[in-house]
Amino acid sequence: MAEPRIGVYICNCGTNIAKVVNCDKICDSVSKLPGVAVARTYKYMCSNPGQDMIVQDVKQLDLDRVVVVACSPRMHERTFRKALRSAGLNEYLLEMANIREQCSWVHDDEFAATNKAEALTRAAVRRVAYHEPLERLSADMCPNTLVLGGGIAGLTAALEMADAGHKVFLVERDDHLGGNLARVDLTAPYLDSARDLLTERITRARESKNVQVMLGSALKNLSGFVGNFVATIGPAGSEGRTEQETSVDVGAVVVCTGYKEFDASRITYFGYGKLPNVITSFEFERMLRAGRIETKEGKTPQYVAIVHCVGSRSQEFHGYCSRVCCMTALKYAHEIKSALPDSYVSDLYIDMHAFGKGHEDFYKQSSEAKTLFLMYGKNEHPVIKRAAPEDGCEMLIEVVEKLSGEAIEIPADMVILMVGMEARADADRVARLVNISQDKEGWFIESHPKLDPVATTTEGIFIAGTCAFPKDIPDTVAQARAAAARILGKIAREKIEIDAVFAEVNEDLCSGCRMCNELCPYSAVEFDSEKRRSRVNSALCKACGGCVAACPSSAIKARHFTDQQIAAQIEGVLL
Amino acid sequence: MAIRVNPKLIDELRKYGAEDVSMCYHCGNCSAVCPHSQEPYVFPRRSLRALQMGLESRMRTSIEPWLCYYCGQCSDQCPRDAEPGETMMSLRRWLISQYDVTGLGRYFYRSWKAELAAVLLVFVCTVAGLVLYGSSVGSIHVYDGPGAFLPSEAIHLFDFLLAGALVVFLGLNAGRMWWLTMIKDRKERAPLSLYVRRIHLLPLHFFSQMRYAKCGDTGPWLVHFCVVFGYVTMLVLIMGFLEAMQAGPEIRWSVHAFGYAASAALLVATLMMVRARLVKSGPQGHHTHTTDWMFLLLLVVLVVTGIVQHAVHRLGYETAANVAYVVHLSIVVTWFSRYPFTKWSHIIYRPLAMYFAEVRREVSGTHARQSAAPVAGPQLQGHAA
Repeated sequence: MAEPRIGVYICNCGTNIAKVVNCDKICDSVSKLPGVAVARTYKYMCSNPGQDMIVQDVKQLDLDRVVVVACSPRMHERTFRKALRSAGLNEYLLEMANIREQCSWVHDDEFAATNKAEALTRAAVRRVAYHEPLERLSADMCPNTLVLGGGIAGLTAALEMADAGHKVFLVERDDHLGGNLARVDLTAPYLDSARDLLTERITRARESKNVQVMLGSALKNLSGFVGNFVATIGPAGSEGRTEQETSVDVGAVVVCTGYKEFDASRITYFGYGKLPNVITSFEFERMLRAGRIETKEGKTPQYVAIVHCVGSRSQEFHGYCSRVCCMTALKYAHEIKSALPDSYVSDLYIDMHAFGKGHEDFYKQSSEAKTLFLMYGKNEHPVIKRAAPEDGCEMLIEVVEKLSGEAIEIPADMVILMVGMEARADADRVARLVNISQDKEGWFIESHPKLDPVATTTEGIFIAGTCAFPKDIPDTVAQARAAAARILGKIAREKIEIDAVFAEVNEDLCSGCRMCNELCPYSAVEFDSEKRRSRVNSALCKACGGCVAACPSSAIKARHFTDQQIAAQIEGVLL
Repeated sequence: MAIRVNPKLIDELRKYGAEDVSMCYHCGNCSAVCPHSQEPYVFPRRSLRALQMGLESRMRTSIEPWLCYYCGQCSDQCPRDAEPGETMMSLRRWLISQYDVTGLGRYFYRSWKAELAAVLLVFVCTVAGLVLYGSSVGSIHVYDGPGAFLPSEAIHLFDFLLAGALVVFLGLNAGRMWWLTMIKDRKERAPLSLYVRRIHLLPLHFFSQMRYAKCGDTGPWLVHFCVVFGYVTMLVLIMGFLEAMQAGPEIRWSVHAFGYAASAALLVATLMMVRARLVKSGPQGHHTHTTDWMFLLLLVVLVVTGIVQHAVHRLGYETAANVAYVVHLSIVVTWFSRYPFTKWSHIIYRPLAMYFAEVRREVSGTHARQSAAPVAGPQLQGHAA
């Protein structure tokens, strides 16, 4: 191997680095290293003059490798790669040594910090000598989209894609569209009909030539990678029957599988299942949709009590807030008061979460409608009992009321339990099929909770709505549209760019043990049963290196993280 | 033992003037701003809570509404317009009806028609009774001395009978108030010695209404003080010196010096109160219950008829003086007949409440020190309740 010509550029980062690390000393010592053609320091290497300095040196001094000694590559690797490209060098011939986050920001002792920075610089110089020029790959982006779930999220995402002129496969387990929203009467806080919200969307989806609605069906298998997935769809619930399955090509998947409601019979002290007039919020929605609020005995209830946080915000069940129940409870108070003006509504809550647009006003209106709000402690709970005949009501709810400090009993003829949301029982199956992760409660995990809320760690798989976490209709719709926008962006570019850094199997060395197949967290390693060799799908590989380390035949090489490169880096530190 | 929530009670209290209490979401600004709210009597928030929840037994035994003089700062500060000041006022009205052993107050507070009917009935009956009596003992043309239409000794005796009946009713109601606030639902009883040691509070608060003066603006207190001063002075004059006042017209004007001062104070202060409610100035002026109107209007009529009667008497028109006297006396009877059942009874509940509150505070304090456990009134118990 010919002697490389390496340029080393040490950044002061204003005083961020220079006040602790002696940059000039590093510059002196590094310039004496073999292969280093030039070493310079500069105030801000990432600035335009700093980048120009590198570009000029590459051209004039005929450099073939560059080491930037500055901040974390997460901060500026892109910047310096771009500089190399503009100088006519392959961008992978760059290495960065992080002497800001790893030295100047975490050490006080100038001598020790400088020594450490020097070691990291030596390591980078040694490593960069073994860098190879790499090329990014690209693949076609299939403009079709698979949407899982026909609730408000799925419908919205599907229509968004269809309106943009792209084909959508809308897969729904049930025999009808609408999801959980189809079980709701009015919506809070503006008391719009849920039916009105849905009907327009369902009709449009059914009539759109771009949307293929697949009712009673489910995703059976998904292979391929972003832009090039093959989805197998079959009848929901019939496992293993392949003759009714169809395969479709899609470029991206939006998972909108929604939630299921908490099973109230898991809580004994509410008497759900034993006391006939203790019902869940969804059972009450059914009454509202039928237009008749009455007890199981067919009587009009005089006292109606609403209990919040059933299954939510508790130590025993789910610790999280289900977000929609507070406003739904207020909606019930309104609907009960307007249907039965002589009734009395008690609302038992832990905290009133009225965070959304119009929610606070809605809360105030509920007070005006004389809803009796009763507060109980987070770690306490109301107990519902059958009342005696002389009590003049069906049930009595015992609770310690926080705002008065009194142990009270509340008369009730009907109790509505505001059951929270939880992840669907089949969420883990869906997660496995599309290769995304779940948190400890079973919700799908987003790529970044703040900055990338609808993407997942698998490229091309998006999540929207309540399959990721409880949320209300506006947030769900916003996410569905966001996911559609992300996919439309990819479709508009037509090509999928694949990072040049991935693992490769040397077929001559592979013994076909398939250890790596199971190990890969991204399902990127496939087995070629004809050749009896494993093969890495470069588009799926995230270059984590798991298979490289595990391979007993050392048959897998990670591009840009070769054994030679890493060994040289370690040597550099230890010298 | 859990207390039963009564969601219907809030509807009942609407009739007593508590219209906005369901708006309260318990921020506690009202209790923070109230100049009288002090442990162990923290209000108005807790009183509002008991009312919202319909904790009837707690409300009935509470003393807090009587410690409020309605300066209105709580209502000004309320972010939800729940009118805590008016709620306390309504609770006082409700408590008066609860203390009333006859139960008549409940009818008067809940229906202005019932109240008006009662007022008219008593007035007409009294007029009829006085005319019948006067005609049987004398002549309408004779005001004083032999043959007088309404002889002063007889009227004096009648006054004492009326006062005796009032004392009986008021005594019974005050006893019920004492039982509710000091005995019922209370763990610790105050020893007799403590009642004796603090007895001076009763006349002190009766005459001075000094807590009212601590509400910030002393204007309303001064007006109120004038009414009480005038009223009490007139009461003393009538009960003690009726014969001397009815004599004349030849007696000296200066005999009436006290009476004139008292009447002037009473008339001016009462008219100021009427004006405040008419133009809706000040916190109380914004909310006037029908019983408040009845109270003020009867008082104005009482004072005016008294003055007219005195004037025609002094001018020597004996017949006219007798007619005016019948009207005035009938108003007096009408006025006093409402005394134990509605607003005016606060004249004894207020000082009693100050007295009881202090006794209760001291006995709770002693108890707390001895047992080293937090003890407070039923309204004030913490979570462990």
